[in-house]
Parts: sequence; C-alpha cells; structure tokens
Amino acid sequence: MILAPEVLAILILNSIFLLFSLVAFVLSVRIFIKWDMSATTQEQYGLEKQSFLAATIIKYIFAIKLPLFLFFVFTLDKISTLLTGAMCGAGVVDATDYGSYLLILKLMNLYLFGFWLTLHYLDIKSPNLPYTRLKFEFFIVAFLFLLVEIVLEGVMFGSIDIDKMVSCCGTLYSSSSTSAISGIFSIDTTVMLTLFYGNFLFMVIFYMMRYQYLFAISNLAFIVVALISLIQFFGTYIYELPTHHCPFCFLQSDYYFVGYLIYSLLFLGTFYGMRVGVVKMLDEDRGKGFKLSMIFNGVYVVLVTAYPIFYFIRNGVWL
Amino acid sequence: MITLKNTTKTYEINKNNSVTALDNITINIKEGELVVLKGVSGSGKSTILSLIAALTKPTIGEVIVNEKRVSKLPDNFASDYRQQDIGFIFQKYNLIPTLSVQDNILLPLVPTNPDEVEAKAKLDRVMEQFNIAHKKDTMVRSLSGGEQQRVAIARAHINDPKIIIADEPTANLDEKLSLDFIEILRGLKDSGKTIVVATHDPLFFNLDIVDRVIEVQGGKIL
Amino acid sequence: MKNNLNLYLIEFAINALLRAKSKNIFILVVFTLLTALLTAVFLITGSIKHELQSTVDALPQITVQKIKAGRHYDIDTSVADEILTIAGVSEAVPRVWGYYYFENAGVNFSVVGIEQYEAQYKDSFAKLVEKFDFEELSSQSSMVVGRGVKEVMSSSYYKEYFNFIKPDGSLKKVTVAGVFDGDTELESNDMILMSKEDVREIFDMQEGKATDIVVKVPNPEEVTTVASKIKLMYPDTRVISSTDLKISYQNIFDYKSGVFLALFVVALFTFFMIIYDKASGLSSEEKREIGILKAIGWRVDDILKEKFYESFILSFLAYLFGILSAFGFVYLLQAPLLREIFVGYSQLKTSFELPFVFEIQTLFLVFFLSVPIYIAATIIPSWRAATLEVDEVIR
Ligand SMILES: Nc1ncnc2c1ncn2[C@@H]1O[C@H](COP(=O)(O)OP(=O)(O)OP(=O)(O)O)[C@@H](O)[C@H]1O
Ligand SMILES: [Mg+2]
Repeated sequence: MILAPEVLAILILNSIFLLFSLVAFVLSVRIFIKWDMSATTQEQYGLEKQSFLAATIIKYIFAIKLPLFLFFVFTLDKISTLLTGAMCGAGVVDATDYGSYLLILKLMNLYLFGFWLTLHYLDIKSPNLPYTRLKFEFFIVAFLFLLVEIVLEGVMFGSIDIDKMVSCCGTLYSSSSTSAISGIFSIDTTVMLTLFYGNFLFMVIFYMMRYQYLFAISNLAFIVVALISLIQFFGTYIYELPTHHCPFCFLQSDYYFVGYLIYSLLFLGTFYGMRVGVVKMLDEDRGKGFKLSMIFNGVYVVLVTAYPIFYFIRNGVWL
Repeated sequence: MITLKNTTKTYEINKNNSVTALDNITINIKEGELVVLKGVSGSGKSTILSLIAALTKPTIGEVIVNEKRVSKLPDNFASDYRQQDIGFIFQKYNLIPTLSVQDNILLPLVPTNPDEVEAKAKLDRVMEQFNIAHKKDTMVRSLSGGEQQRVAIARAHINDPKIIIADEPTANLDEKLSLDFIEILRGLKDSGKTIVVATHDPLFFNLDIVDRVIEVQGGKIL
Repeated sequence: MKNNLNLYLIEFAINALLRAKSKNIFILVVFTLLTALLTAVFLITGSIKHELQSTVDALPQITVQKIKAGRHYDIDTSVADEILTIAGVSEAVPRVWGYYYFENAGVNFSVVGIEQYEAQYKDSFAKLVEKFDFEELSSQSSMVVGRGVKEVMSSSYYKEYFNFIKPDGSLKKVTVAGVFDGDTELESNDMILMSKEDVREIFDMQEGKATDIVVKVPNPEEVTTVASKIKLMYPDTRVISSTDLKISYQNIFDYKSGVFLALFVVALFTFFMIIYDKASGLSSEEKREIGILKAIGWRVDDILKEKFYESFILSFLAYLFGILSAFGFVYLLQAPLLREIFVGYSQLKTSFELPFVFEIQTLFLVFFLSVPIYIAATIIPSWRAATLEVDEVIR
C-alpha cells in the first residue's frame, strides 16, 4: 500500500466518480427502458429532465478524467522513486499484475467517454433527440468499464509493495525480455517505418477523398503502429541511446516532459479520426473531426520524425 | 399561425386534487392578427398564453405555431423557440430587479454569445423604440411601474420576434399609461406582428386595432 | 462555429455571485482556509523532505551497524579495516556517537566523537578539526557544542561546563571549549562534539568498539554492490545505504501527509455537504430568477453553464487565495503550530528555518483536491435549479 498524497487524491476523486457515475448509471437504465419520445406523459417529461443530469455528470467526469490521466502518469513517475529498482513509471506499472491493464483501460475509457460526448452533441442538436436512448445504452456499457477501472486502480495502488524490488524499464523494454513487449523488437525497423509512414500516407489519402470509415480505421491502426514505432524506433532518438526503448522515461523532466506532448497529440489525433467514423455510423455527414485529426496526427508525425532527423544532422550517423 | 387543438390542461395539486384550467379548447390565430383573450380571474387566460409560449405542456391536445408542434418540443428547443419567435410581456414584468435596464434588456441574448457591435445595435434600437434609453444604467428596482413595463416590452423585442404575448398589460397602470401602451400596441400591429393579449380591462374590448375578442370562462371558450 | 468564451455569460455569473454576497463570501473564506491548510501541509512536508534529503546526501553512502538479538549493538572497529579491502571503497570510518537525554530541559543531544587524525566523514567536521584541536580537548576533557545546545545548557545554568550522568550513575564533568554553527540548522541545534575517548566514557563503551561504521564509495553506481558484499561478509550487521534512507524518509513524510489527508477528507466531506445544502436551498427569489431566464429563452444547458461558471470562479479564486496564503504562512511566518506536527516535538529542532522549495506538482495536487470537488457538490443543485418548471416559478 502506498500512502502518497497524489495516490490519495486520485482515490478521492475516484470515489466521487463512482458515486456520481452510479447516479448517471441508474438514470441511464431508467431512460433506456422507458424512453418514448412520442409520449406526452409526465413520466417522459421527467425522463427528459433526468437526461440532463446524467449528461452533466458524464461531462463532468470526462472533463476531470482528461487532466487526471496526465496526473496519473505523473504520479506513477513520482512513486517510481519510492520503489527500489524502478526508474520511471514503467517500473510501477510493472510492479503489480494489474498495472498494464489499468493503463490500457484508462486510455480506452477516455476514448469511450469522448465518443459518448460526440453522440451526445449529435443527439441534442435535433428536436427529436434521436440518439438519447442509444447514448444512454452506450453509457451503461461505458459505466461498466469505468467501474472496472476504478476498482482496478484501487487494487493496484493497494497492492504495490514498497519493499519489493521491481524491474526497471531497461529490462522491461529490451529485446531480451520475455514479455509480450519483446515481440516488438522482432519486427524489422525498415518494415516498421514503412508501416508507420504508409499508414499516415493512407490517412492523408482518405482525408482528401473524405472516406469517413476508412479514415477512422486508418486512425485505429495508427494508434497501434505509432505506439510500436515509438517504442521500437523513435524513442531511442529521444534518448539518443540505441538500447533505451522505454515509453515512460521521456515523460520526465530530463526530456522536457515531451512525452506528455507526444501522447496528447496521438490521443487527440486518433480520437478525432475515429470520431469521424462514429459520426458516419449515425448517418450524419459532418466532417468536423477530419481536419482536427489531420492536424494533430500531422504534428505528431513531424515531431517524432524530427528527433532522428536532427540527430542525423548533428552527428552525421544514425543510431 | 397559432393553433391550439383540443387542448386540455390539468394542474395536479396533489394525488387526489387537480384543477382543470383549460378544458378541450381550440383556438386559431392568423398571422398579423391582434387577439384579445377576455375573462374573469382564474378563467384560464394566462394558461393559454403559457401554452402558446411553450412555457408549459398541455395534458391533452397539441399546440402548433408556425407549423411547429411546440407542445412537444424538448426543453432546450422550447427555450430556443421562446428566444427567437416569442416576445412575452409578463403580468408582473418579470425583470431582474438588481440588474440595470440595459442588462435586463440584453438578457435574452446572453446565451447566444452575441457579437458586441450587433448586440449594442439591437439594444439601442429597442431602447429608442420604447423610450427607455435615458434610464439605461438605472437599476430596474428603482423604476416606476410604467418604466418597468417599457423595459419588459423592450426586452421582449430584442430579437424582433413575430409573436407578441402580453398578460394583463394594463393591470398595474393608470389610465394615461394604459393609453400609452395601446399606442405601442398599435405600432406593433402596424409592423405586422401577431399579438395575443390576455386582459379583463374593458379598455381593449372596443379598440379599432383589435381583430377579435375571445372570451374565456371556466377553462372553456364561449 | 462560435468556440470562444461567452463573456456575457461570465459577466452574468460574476454578477450573480456578487448579488449573493454574504453567502458567497462565507463559502470563499471557508474554502480558502481549507485549501490553504492543505497546501501548507504539502509545502511543509516538501520543505522538510528537502532538508532531510540534503542531510542524507551529505551522509556517507553506507552505514554498517551490528545487530544482536534484533537490536543495535556496538561494532568492532576492526570491521572497518576489513571493509576497506573491498574494491570500490575509499573510506571506512568507525563512528562513536549516541543520544544523550538531558532531563532538566527534556531534550536529546547528539554526542559525537571526533578523532583529530582520522578521515572525517563530514565536511563540517573537517572544518572543525582545523579550528579546534581534539587531541587537546581530550586531554582537558572538554567539548564543542552547537549553538542550540549552548542555549539550552545556559538556561539550565551550565555556562562553562556540563555534567554528564554516566550509565553507572557517576558524573562526568566536561568543559565547553567552543561553540559552532553547523551546515544545517538541524545539525548545529542538537550536536555536541568531543573526543571519542570521552564519548566512550559517557556511554560506557569499550575500547575498540564503535557505534557504527560509515563507508564512502566514490562511484554511486557501486553502492548497492558494495552494500551487498558487506552484508555477505558480516551477516550479523545491518547495512543501510543512503538510497534506502531517502526512500524511507520519503515514505515517512508521505505517510504523515497521507494521514493528514485522510483527516482532510473528513473536513472536505463536511464542506461538500455544506455546499450541497447551500446550493440546493434556493430562495424563491433565485427560483424566480431562473424561471425568468428560461422564460425569455435560456436553455437548461445555459443555466447549467452559468452555474458552472459561478462555482468554477468561486472555487478557483479560493484555490488561488489558498495557495498564496499558504505560501505566506509557511515561508514568511514559518508555519507556526502546523509544523510541530511534522518536525516532531523536540524543542531543539523547532528553531530551524523551512527552506523554500517549490514543486509545481503541489499546485496540481491541491487543484485536484479542491476545485473538482467543489464543482461536484454543485452539480445536482444546479441541475435542480435548471430544470425547474418555469410556469410554476414565475407566476
Ligand atoms: N401552477 C399551477 N398549479 C395549480 N393550479 C394552477 C396553476 N396555474 C394556474 N392554476 C389554476 O388554473 C386556473 C387558471 O389559471 P390562470 O392563471 O390561467 O387564470 P387567469 O385567467 O390568467 O387568471 P388571472 O386573471 O387571475 O390572471 C386557476 O384556477 C388557477 O388556480
Ligand atoms: Mg393570469
């Protein structure tokens, strides 16, 4: 158990989320079951009012969760100084069996809540409130994920053992490691980079052709390809060390916190990109997300590309 | 333009008690008409106005304005409708006493985040039109009754709505001010607005500008 | 698409806050106090941690203690020579020191033995050795004391000398040969320096024994390896490296502020209830106002947004004021009362200055513990207000 104030702050906010999302969940279930837009009953009018509360709660949770995610990553970094062996957040994530699942779940929930908001704004634009039932159905599922996240987070912080030696990122993210991550290193760098830039190229093409679905799918693929290439290739140029592959260390001050920028860009770009697909599924033809997605993804590509280029310019060799 | 179709409005006071304020009424008001709703206190005049302005929903029946079923609009859209199509002059004016005249008049625009120049132009226009510009920085609570009404009218007009609704507009005014108000109404009618006035003031019953007087009694139309 | 801030709405929100002045000032004051208290605690722990960390940094990388029956025991000085043979070790010095409890004043002194011609494990000692001759001090049975110690002794009328009570009950008179100022205030406040011989006598320690042995390893990377080698050579010892110490300090203070935070949660919860109560108890005047706004075309979402601006402005102001007053309280006033909790109750240690340490994370931490919680408390009351039946409240 770790009693750092940062951890406690996260737990306190989690309990508020739990309480409020529970309220939103109950309302969602009620609306999902009883919603009838054509009814003129008192009950229906009551539900319309309750939908405002549920939506406000969900917006609130999302608005806090977004910066809180960065704070969470930051906290991992901080408590890494408490664990023998850990040098950055990677060690903390690895310290318990739940760390990596929690991290993935947290990210996924951010995407889910973001999509919920998209649905919500499309819904309240039309006087028929066409997606109200759908959005609350969607929230019922999202709530379950949130619940798992909150429980997992509590369990993770509860089970970190300060006296236990943990692995540092150097061993976790190396080609000799036995974990699933090591699979990344068996991919050839040239193949990897072709995939990365190829994926981006397709994204640009789909953007210009306004193919909403394909654009969304290329964004989904981009999350995976970008992360793998970041660990396998680009990260080493940020550290200027051919053997250092850690995706956490560049969140630290030694690298000017550039990691926060890198991950934010990737998240925003792919979020807006996938949103385009969600919107298309609802038969709405608004391409607002296109441009934003292209901008964020574009800046991401430029940023990570800049590291090896500048390295080459300065040193005349590749790593 | 405004249609109430077989509309009934019942207020639930508690589980066992309810008041039927309107009982299966049908009203049709054409564009540009000035209609007066006449009736004793408690007959249901204000309830009709509330239904037209989508401030409340009918228990049975529907209200259609400009081909829009306003009785079925979700809350946010009912607000939009009131903001754009309706200018409501309330019986008690319903101003915010601790805000200045111009702040009160601007209130309907606030949520739309208006362009400053545009908002200023609109504000000046209505303050000029209803002769209240000289008091624009005065707190509303220190205005006279007639001035307060003019602020209420100015506020109702800031978005230049097609429909004007006035509830007992002369109840708190003396004879001179009442006549002033009728002159204002005349101007509005000339500019083509559809106007509904609820009143029991005899002053309105034989006016040349009034197209129709509808008498309401016990929730029914005579 | 209008994405920019709605200044009209913000202005309205500020106006609304000002119109309910007394209520909002009350909330502002209470909330400011709470955030100030919270921030102060984090600042104090941050400061003390920093102070202790720099003390730890000045410490030798490894300390070796002998453990017998689970307790700390005197160690043979010969162990130091053995340790010196380990590769990577540059120095291994046996230390003779202990805490002496001075009953009259109720304080602890750290009594440290120093030998003139020995490698000094602390820079401040090396300086002292240049100033005072400990060979000579030894022959005269005299000592050098920290400034704080000197004051305590004087107030008990020990001006020139001090009587130490030995374990067997007999007295040892040691004269004060000088006063020194240490590197850190914690150090000079409770420290007494004399020859090792005298220290041994006061604590009844045998010749050839020492309290512990400190080891210097120039290459920080090798500290862990050296520590484990010593542990292998002497299984009956406890080997403490400065990295371990750092972590345990961090833990102690995290724990202390954690306990405090737990208490704080209770206060916060109470406050949450107060806000909830205040915000839900809408007067008929306020209800009417919201009714009017909705009647003239404000959406439910507009009212909710306006209420959000209100609570955000209020809580963010309280957050800013809280942070500022905490900085003033801790660094200008030196945190009266509050810091006793964290520094401990020893009178000697209260006089040190809290060094200014600024970590941006504290700002985020306090933010997450204040603003979102306040806003959460206003969600349901705001929703209630925003969905009032217009027709009923404006009649
Ligand atoms: N919110 C309410 N709850 C319960 N009853 C109501 C409500 N509003 C109106 N009523 C009742 O409905 C009936 C019609 O009211 P309404 O206000 O429409 O009358 P009115 O003709 O405008 O009267 P007045 O001339 O006094 O304004 C009255 O009996 C009134 O008591
Ligand atoms: Mg009435």
